[in-house]
Amino acid sequence: MKVLIVEDERKTADYLYQGLTEQGCAVDVAYDGIDGQHMALHYDFDVIVLDVMLPGLDGMGILHSLRAVKNTPVIMLTARDGVDDRVRGLRAGADDYLVKPFSFMELLARLQALTRRGRAQEPTLLRVGSLSVDLIGRKAMRDGQRIDLTAKEFALLTVLARRQGEILSKTQIAELVWDMNFDSNTNVVEVAIKRLRAKIDVPFGRHLLHTIRGMGYVLEERGDADATLGDSPGED
Amino acid sequence: MRRSIALRLAVMFALAAIAGFALIGVALHQVLGAELARHRRGEVQGRLDDVRYMLEHGRSAELAQRTKEKIRTLTDTAEARTRYWMWSEDPLWRYGEDAQQVAAMALEHRNVVDLPVGPQGRTMSVLGADLPANDIRPAVRLVIGVDGYSYDRTLRKFEIALVIFTIAGAAIVATLGYWIARVGLTPLVQMSADAQRIGPNNPGQRLRLPELPPELFRLGTSFNAALDRLDSAYHQLETFNADVAHELRTPLANLIGQTQVTLGRERGASEMREVLQSNLEELERLRAIVADMLFLARAEQGERAHRLVEASIAGEVEKTVEFLDILLDEAGLTVGVSGDAVAPIETSLFRRALTNLLQNAIQHSQPGARIDVKVTSEPSQATVAVSNPAVAIAPEQLARLFDRFYRGDASRRNSDESHGLGLSIVKAIAAMHRGSVFARSEDGRVTVGFSVALRH
Repeated sequence: MKVLIVEDERKTADYLYQGLTEQGCAVDVAYDGIDGQHMALHYDFDVIVLDVMLPGLDGMGILHSLRAVKNTPVIMLTARDGVDDRVRGLRAGADDYLVKPFSFMELLARLQALTRRGRAQEPTLLRVGSLSVDLIGRKAMRDGQRIDLTAKEFALLTVLARRQGEILSKTQIAELVWDMNFDSNTNVVEVAIKRLRAKIDVPFGRHLLHTIRGMGYVLEERGDADATLGDSPGED
Repeated sequence: MRRSIALRLAVMFALAAIAGFALIGVALHQVLGAELARHRRGEVQGRLDDVRYMLEHGRSAELAQRTKEKIRTLTDTAEARTRYWMWSEDPLWRYGEDAQQVAAMALEHRNVVDLPVGPQGRTMSVLGADLPANDIRPAVRLVIGVDGYSYDRTLRKFEIALVIFTIAGAAIVATLGYWIARVGLTPLVQMSADAQRIGPNNPGQRLRLPELPPELFRLGTSFNAALDRLDSAYHQLETFNADVAHELRTPLANLIGQTQVTLGRERGASEMREVLQSNLEELERLRAIVADMLFLARAEQGERAHRLVEASIAGEVEKTVEFLDILLDEAGLTVGVSGDAVAPIETSLFRRALTNLLQNAIQHSQPGARIDVKVTSEPSQATVAVSNPAVAIAPEQLARLFDRFYRGDASRRNSDESHGLGLSIVKAIAAMHRGSVFARSEDGRVTVGFSVALRH
């Protein structure tokens, strides 16, 4: 994924660069509006992360000139949390916005959502290690055993299995499973994960569902040392 | 600044005095004028009758001569204020200049009339009489003119006195009025002195009400009440700042301390990761607090929900209950939903408010309890009320339930889970939907809820 970051705050730009590069993206950074506009117009990116407040030319200006020529997805970063900024950004053609302070996980998720649009049909049978999730039959199997799940547990497992290897934050999970798209202070997701884990991991001795402390959860097959039950780092 | 009240009152008193004096003056002038005119007519008639009596009843052969002498005596003593004319066919019975013309003019009128027949053309009050002939003399026309100068002078003097007295009276009234107003307004002066003493250094200072007259008492009372409200808002802001600092201080102290301890010695990668993860958790907490504060600030600045859709409130309650199902299950609680209403809402905001309300109920319920959610539809608003069995809450605590960072039972609540903004967010969301919040404590249940307007 080719990403352009237009952000004048060095520290922010640098960690975004590092984080996205480590996620396997090809990242370019512009530290002011003029450079940002030049790069956005002359090179092709899969997605552009655009700060609103920029020296030289502000984010709205860049968005305006960009939308005149192409439809590269744009996610705006706003520090002012006024509704005006957001509405203006979305009206000007931004695809999404994030209000500072935002979490990197959140940004990553939004970027993935923006670039995932229009992807090919997903498979109906998902496999994670010895676990298989049948989306049509709505059943989960591990080591040949049928796992009995409630509807919400199945939905949760599906969300995690569709994005296997991807860290999902609690807010993302709440949105994808329960359609609750706000930052809730509840521990619903923790408890749901604990319950799901008791069904898909505990009886089988090896972890597939991992907790990444402070970030979220990921479903993936890991090496032996990491996955043995009871020895998972950051286990709650 | 407008002119002083005392000055304005003095001017108004003066105008009123002038008007009053002028009215009385005009009336007196009328009366005096009429009286003087009557008196003058009497004098004219009397002096005419003096000579006329002689002409009508005199039997002397030298009556003409005698009459003229009498006229001369009369005019001499009257200091030329009086003139007589006599005219007849017989030249012997003539007296005064232009007697024929004067008599003709005077006898056109039956009463006293003003004619310019005096010396140097001065106006005189004139009365004439036609005396028919008798055995002694021929027909005679007798005319008298009396100079009205003294009457006029009296009237003029009276008028001048009237004007002078009116002006002097008005001046006296104005001065007295100014003084009275100054004395009457002293409570205001005292009040403003009191008000000047109120400042940030002595916020408890108030106007001294018992010393105020009834007219100012209400003003003073409302002024003091306004000060009380400002005071409590000021106090709330102060405690709010302290609360924010406190809420942020704890995670910041953890972060700094933990980082310092970790960096104090060589550590392995896994230990470092452990610390970073723990730091991240603290940072997430900070982020959540800041995000919520920004949300509240936006609501306070009057932001309204904008992505409104007509939705079933009960449907939203069901979805939220489904979200919290696991927590309800863990806590051993059940939820009953009753009623419904359709209202324009921004669903994500609405669900957030419901989540906070239900979570509040879950946290304050004993296992096995039943939480009731009641939706009611009113003409202009829809309300959601969440109630759970709980120990009664004092009214003053109920009122503060929606304050930011307010924790009714600070000791029992775990600050890791909630940072005390949950119900203030409910209040903010209600405001964004032009609604309000309410809290009741009755019959062993605590009910907390909010309303949204049906029309925006």
